Formats: sequence, C-alpha cells, structure tokens
Amino acid sequence: MSAKDRQLALMLTPYLIGLTALVLVPAVASLGMAFTEYDLIGAARWVGLANFAELATSVPFRAALVNSLVFAAIAVPLRVAAAVGLALLLHRRAPAATTASTAATLPTAVPEIAYGLLWLWLFNPLYGPVNQLLRWGGENGRTAFDTTVPSWLTSPNDARAAIVVMSLFTIGEMLVVLLAARRALPREVHELAALEGATGWTLARRVTLPMLAPVIGLLLLRDTILSFQFSFVPALVVTDGGPPPYSTTYLSLYIYRNAFEYLRYGHAAAATLVMLALTAGAVYLQWRTFHRYRSRYR
Amino acid sequence: MTGVELVGVRAAHGTRDVLRHIDLTVARGELLVVLGPSGAGKSTLLRVIAGLHPVSSGTIGIAGRDVTRLSPGERDVAMVFQSYALFPHLTVADNIAFGHRVRGVRRKHARPIAAKAAEVAGCAHLLDRFPHQLSGGERQRVALARAVVREPAVFLLDEPLSNLDGELRAQTRVELRALHDRVGATTLHVTHSRSEALTLGDRIAVVRDGELEQVGTPDDIWRRPGTEFVATFVGAMNLLPADGPWRADAHRVGVRREAVSLADDGIPARVDRVEVVGEDTYVHLRVAGAHAVVARVATADRPAADSAVHVRVHDRDLHLFDYDGSRI
Repeated sequence: MSAKDRQLALMLTPYLIGLTALVLVPAVASLGMAFTEYDLIGAARWVGLANFAELATSVPFRAALVNSLVFAAIAVPLRVAAAVGLALLLHRRAPAATTASTAATLPTAVPEIAYGLLWLWLFNPLYGPVNQLLRWGGENGRTAFDTTVPSWLTSPNDARAAIVVMSLFTIGEMLVVLLAARRALPREVHELAALEGATGWTLARRVTLPMLAPVIGLLLLRDTILSFQFSFVPALVVTDGGPPPYSTTYLSLYIYRNAFEYLRYGHAAAATLVMLALTAGAVYLQWRTFHRYRSRYR
Repeated sequence: MTGVELVGVRAAHGTRDVLRHIDLTVARGELLVVLGPSGAGKSTLLRVIAGLHPVSSGTIGIAGRDVTRLSPGERDVAMVFQSYALFPHLTVADNIAFGHRVRGVRRKHARPIAAKAAEVAGCAHLLDRFPHQLSGGERQRVALARAVVREPAVFLLDEPLSNLDGELRAQTRVELRALHDRVGATTLHVTHSRSEALTLGDRIAVVRDGELEQVGTPDDIWRRPGTEFVATFVGAMNLLPADGPWRADAHRVGVRREAVSLADDGIPARVDRVEVVGEDTYVHLRVAGAHAVVARVATADRPAADSAVHVRVHDRDLHLFDYDGSRI
C-alpha cells in the first residue's frame, strides 16, 4: 500500500464508518426485519412474507401509497417549475435580485417543525391569513368569485392541497443550484439569441431551458426521491395524517406510525422496502428519459 | 451610402470609459478591420454597434437608419463571437436556422435556407451534427453560416480566427476574404493580429485606449502611420532620437527594420547579434556607437556577429514623430 493509498484510506475511513453504522447496518437490519414480527420488547419472530401480504390488503397502506404518488406527481413538477421560474427572474446580479433570492431561500432554512407550526396558523380556516386573503373582496365569508374558501385542514382535498402549498416554499436548495447553473451559461449564447430577436418566452423556450435541461432533470430526480420524505413533517404537525381516515397519510407517516406508535417494526420495515422500490422505479423512469435527451448533445 | 456610421460614440464599463469619442464611417460593402491591443475597446465597439452594450452618448446608424435606441434584434446585424456561441442543444442545421425559427419560419422551410448558407460557408456536410462533434474550424464555419443566413446589413466578427491554430488560421483568413467578396456585406472585423488586419481589410481602424488612433487603408497604415503607436503596433519599428544617426527636425525618428540596408558606405555600425528566422535574419546593430537598431536582411546576405558594417536608410523611409507621438 503506497503512502498515497494509505492517506486516501485514512481520509475515507470516518465517512465509511458513518456510512456503515448509520446507513448500511440499519438498511440490512430493516431488510431482515421486513420478514419478522418485532415489537422491540419480545424476540423477533420469522413470519416470511406475511408482512407484505398484509400490506397488499391494508386500506391505510393503500391510501398512503396513493397519497404519496399523487403528492409526488403534483408537488415535484410545481416545485421545480417554481425554482426554475425564480432562477430565470433572479439570476442577474442586481441588489434587488440578491435580496429576492435570499428571501426565496430563507423558508428552507427554517426548522421543519417550526415551519409546520407556522403554516398551522397560516392555514387556520377562521383567522388564518391565507383565508383572510382569499376572502378579500368577497362577501359573507366567501371569495371575490363567490366560492367558498378552502377548509384547509378539515376537508380531504383541501388538506392535500395545503401540504403541496407548504412544499412550494422550501425550494431554496433547488434555487441555489439553478441560479448557479443559469449564471454558468455562456453569455455570448444569450447575446446571440438577442441579436436574432429572441426575447422573453421564446428565449427561455429555445435557449435557456434546453441548456438548463440536464440540471433540471437532475433536480427532478432528486426531488422525487425527497418527496417521499418532505411530506412527513407537514403531515405529522399540520394535518396529523387527516382529515380522517387517511387523507394526508403518506408512506413516511404510515411507516413512522407503525414503527414508533404501534411498535410494529416488521410491518414498517416491509412498507419501507416498498417505498424504496417505488423510489427506485421512479428514478429509473426519469433517468431513462433524461438520459435519452442528454445523449443527443453531450 | 454608408454601411455603419458612428458619431461621437462614448461607452463605459461602470465608471471607466471604454470608448471615449468615436467617429467612424464604414462604407456599404466595405470590410473594415478594427485593430488594437487587448483592452483597447475593440470588442466594446462591436458590442455597441450590435446593441449589446449601451452608449453613454453619441449616435449609431446602420444602413442609413438611426439604431441608437433599438434593441439588438431590431438592428439587422449578425455577429460571430470569438467563442462562436453555438447552441449546444441544436444541430448545425438548427443552429443556422435559429433566427428564422425565432421569426416563425417552419422547420421544414428553414432547413433549405440553412443548407444554402452552409454551402456558402463551406459546412454543408455538417448539417446533422451537434456542435460538440465539430472541430474548432468546423464550428467557426457554422458560426459564419449562421451569420450569413440572416443576410444582415452588417457583419460583426469578434476575433473569429483567434481560436484557430497557425495553418488553419491562414487558410480561413483567405476564405473569409473570399466569403466577404462573394456576399458583399458591410463587415467589421475585430482582431489584435496585425498580419490579419493588413491582409484582410479594405481599411483598418487602429484603436487605442478607447479612441481611434488612425483609420486608413493597409498601405496607408503601414507606410504613413499617423502616430508612433500605430507605427510600432502594425510592425516593428526602430525609434531613435532626432539627434541620433538620422537627424531631423522632430522629436523622434522611426525606421522600419527592412528599410535599414547594410552597405559598403554610410553610417558605421557594429553587429551585436544575428538572429536567423528562416529566410529572414534580424541583425541587431549598434549604430554610431550608441543607438540600438534592428535591420531585417535576407539570410543569405547576413553579416557575421561582431563585425563592422555600414548602414544606409533612404530619406523617404524615415518617419518623423513629434513630442505627442503624432506624425510630422
């Protein structure tokens, strides 16, 4: 082993220890646990595929699965679109743009629980600012278009929408990546487009977005994976998985409940595996599309 | 009819003036080379004409139309950037047809137009490739085709040859001139290479520190440089005090290297060093005991180092400069 290899090994060791202790061992343990019945108190009991069989017929699990998929299908594109739009608006180096991008990034820095509690107040149907705003210009507690205001936390679809709306303001990381990517695009290419008379939407559609596409693709992938996680705290803190029975129970919350509230570790581990498989599937599909596009010019 | 007309144009980067006061007229169909050292404001001059950089004052006319307040897209100019600025996500055909597509021409109609421009610029065989599959020279042709396809009032070329190496650059230079003669559009070609300027331009505009130092034909610029700066920038020149070997009523006297001939009689000189560069030899001399002068002679006629020689310069080859550097 050369000195360079030894140095490399030394530098990698802390990371590898962490990875093993915090990721690999728990992952293998969960994999094993998925085939057992285990409640943390008694000994684990081998049950084969019973946990998966139960999942297949479980109503709450099916609800959680559908909720998670719908959430990902709606929230992820909206989040990425919002981040891209902001990045295109704010990439210029001007004082106002810097302030605005800082403001857009800030919600991401707020601790998740505090962020959830804040929205609990914002979404309050009676005195919450969101509905006060929606009632503006309307009469008898209705909106200006004479429709009822959403009952954010008590009606199933409004509650699901509330979780999506909450997720739209935590796009700081994506915004930072996209701002950097936008600023890295060669200036001449945009100048040339300007000389050809391409401005505004034409410029974005024909030049900027296609050139950002590799980055946008990567962010879509990443956000899809994360969407199974960032629906967790809002659902726990703001809607508590409801309105009943399972309107905003997502896979992450379902797993959390089963493991830490019902002490059904085996069942939760099986659900985790399903979530993992789902994530892998979604990532594979996106990667294929994205790879096909990329291979056209890179 | 003028192709481009700049009147009293000033431009700044922040608080620094980049163009100080430019008056320049380019005739329709003329190829004007803008020559100057880095940072002289050459590129800014092009960018101001294209509308990519704002003017602080002055007016810009293109083909008899005042375009000072128009956006880049409305000025009817095409630009070739030093980096070529090809769109990496578009094929060569789509790159060339970009302007037409933006203006709403359908793809199937734009394609033959692009193919024709590619033909003119010599890249018709590359239409279906992507920029990353092209060599530097091929990219340069595509960038040219994209400019040609517009049939613009003015071509602005920003150091289009500087990313090509030796042989290819010389070849492309010839092709560029041929292309200009064929297309016949008004062209401003920015370069810092004096050989490019002298061979390519109908006229040369020498820029220094944001001001036009001299505008003239290559012959003018070479034979009657308006200032010491132009004289030394377009070609090496010996600058000597006026009370030196060649006396004159001036501040300094300039002599081009090839104007110094070694002869049997004349001013005595000593050969310091002999530098052979292929067919030419640079003879470093100490003339009249004190003055360093370089002479360019044919290698076959070179003297030996450390030998005593005589030098002669014809009176018409003396360039006289005043205290402010201007020609007398």
